Amino acid sequence: MAELLITPSQTIGPFFKYGLDWPNGENLFPDSTPGRRIRVSGVVTDYQGTPVPDALIEFWQADASGRFGSWRTKASGGFGRVPTDDQGRYAINTRLPGRVAGADGRMQAPHVMVVLFSRGLLKQVMTRFYFEGEAANQDDGVLALCGARVPTLIAKHDAGDLNAYVWNISLQGASETVFFEA
Amino acid sequence: MMRIRKPPAGVQPDQPHAAYKSTLERAPRQPLIPLPQGATELSGPSFDRTVLYPHHDDLTKQTDGEPLGERIIVTGRVLDENGDPLPNTLVEVWQCNAAGRYHHDSDQHDAPLDPHFRGGGRIMTDSEGRYRFTTIKPGAYPWRNHPNAWRPAHIHFSVFGRSMLERLITQMYFPGDPLLGYDPIFNSVPSERARERMIAHFDFEVTKPEWALGYSWDIVLRGPESTPVQPG
Repeated sequence: MAELLITPSQTIGPFFKYGLDWPNGENLFPDSTPGRRIRVSGVVTDYQGTPVPDALIEFWQADASGRFGSWRTKASGGFGRVPTDDQGRYAINTRLPGRVAGADGRMQAPHVMVVLFSRGLLKQVMTRFYFEGEAANQDDGVLALCGARVPTLIAKHDAGDLNAYVWNISLQGASETVFFEA
Repeated sequence: MMRIRKPPAGVQPDQPHAAYKSTLERAPRQPLIPLPQGATELSGPSFDRTVLYPHHDDLTKQTDGEPLGERIIVTGRVLDENGDPLPNTLVEVWQCNAAGRYHHDSDQHDAPLDPHFRGGGRIMTDSEGRYRFTTIKPGAYPWRNHPNAWRPAHIHFSVFGRSMLERLITQMYFPGDPLLGYDPIFNSVPSERARERMIAHFDFEVTKPEWALGYSWDIVLRGPESTPVQPG
């Protein structure tokens, strides 16, 4: 048994601008960081496919060599935070992440962890995205848990630019994105 | 590998939660897929004091004048559920002014804006996991969830902890607020004991004579299983 009861989550609400403003939050790494430079963008939608203009999205990933920044090492990078704009859109600039171990010790395909907060969510939703065309997606232990809904977790190449990806988040509805609990 | 404990039943809000209407349009309906905790989930960002800014911990001093309202000091510790303090973790806060209006373009509540109150702050916990800031007591305000709906006075808190699985955004409420019983957001938490976790205590030890009332509020994040997981 744990000693203390955890503090429950409550909604971020619509008015977080003056508390959670995060300059440069769309750039997950300092400019000098090695690795393949990529841009990921998309739209967040609700049950009717209507854009969600007041969400806050946070991103967390390993660097190109598969290392995480951490509170222990004080290594910076790998974290991003962006609010959606008035049309529900977000965009980040980052590096293609390296491979990291899953819970069973097996290497996972490159992925980025995502948590999303908004009015109408009492606690964050947690998901992750992978990258179209990565051979390692075939053997990824987490994608294997997602069955027919795997396509909701794959960022697709943007037309004409191999370093730009599109990944949309559907909070609810027919094409609802896979969300996880852990 | 270390594992973070699962949240106990009844502590986290259920979603969607019908009494809070916009959850019906935004909260996922498909079952959440259990995700084995790997290196990604068990790590998280760290920040140092360079993310702080002038008067980051005194919301009454962020403009060239004094905001109106009841000055208060809010302090407490950030701990994990094993009771271990979390030093050097970032706490972010935001709130409306004493009249119940946020300094935000989308807030259309017919209450005065205070030109001397923006309502955002950031604090890095000290070596014992303690945070402390000065502000003014936020007002209650109406919202359109249901007829005559009012939010109890609250301060929004965002806390990072050591890993992304500990990440928490919540709200701190004030003791004795008669609106708590009517609020669908506060009451989305099934367990009464867990709801009480969100209410600060009035604290004479924190109260500063001739200056400000004090409130204490500890924040408890998820924490690691105390016994190491046996291999195989």
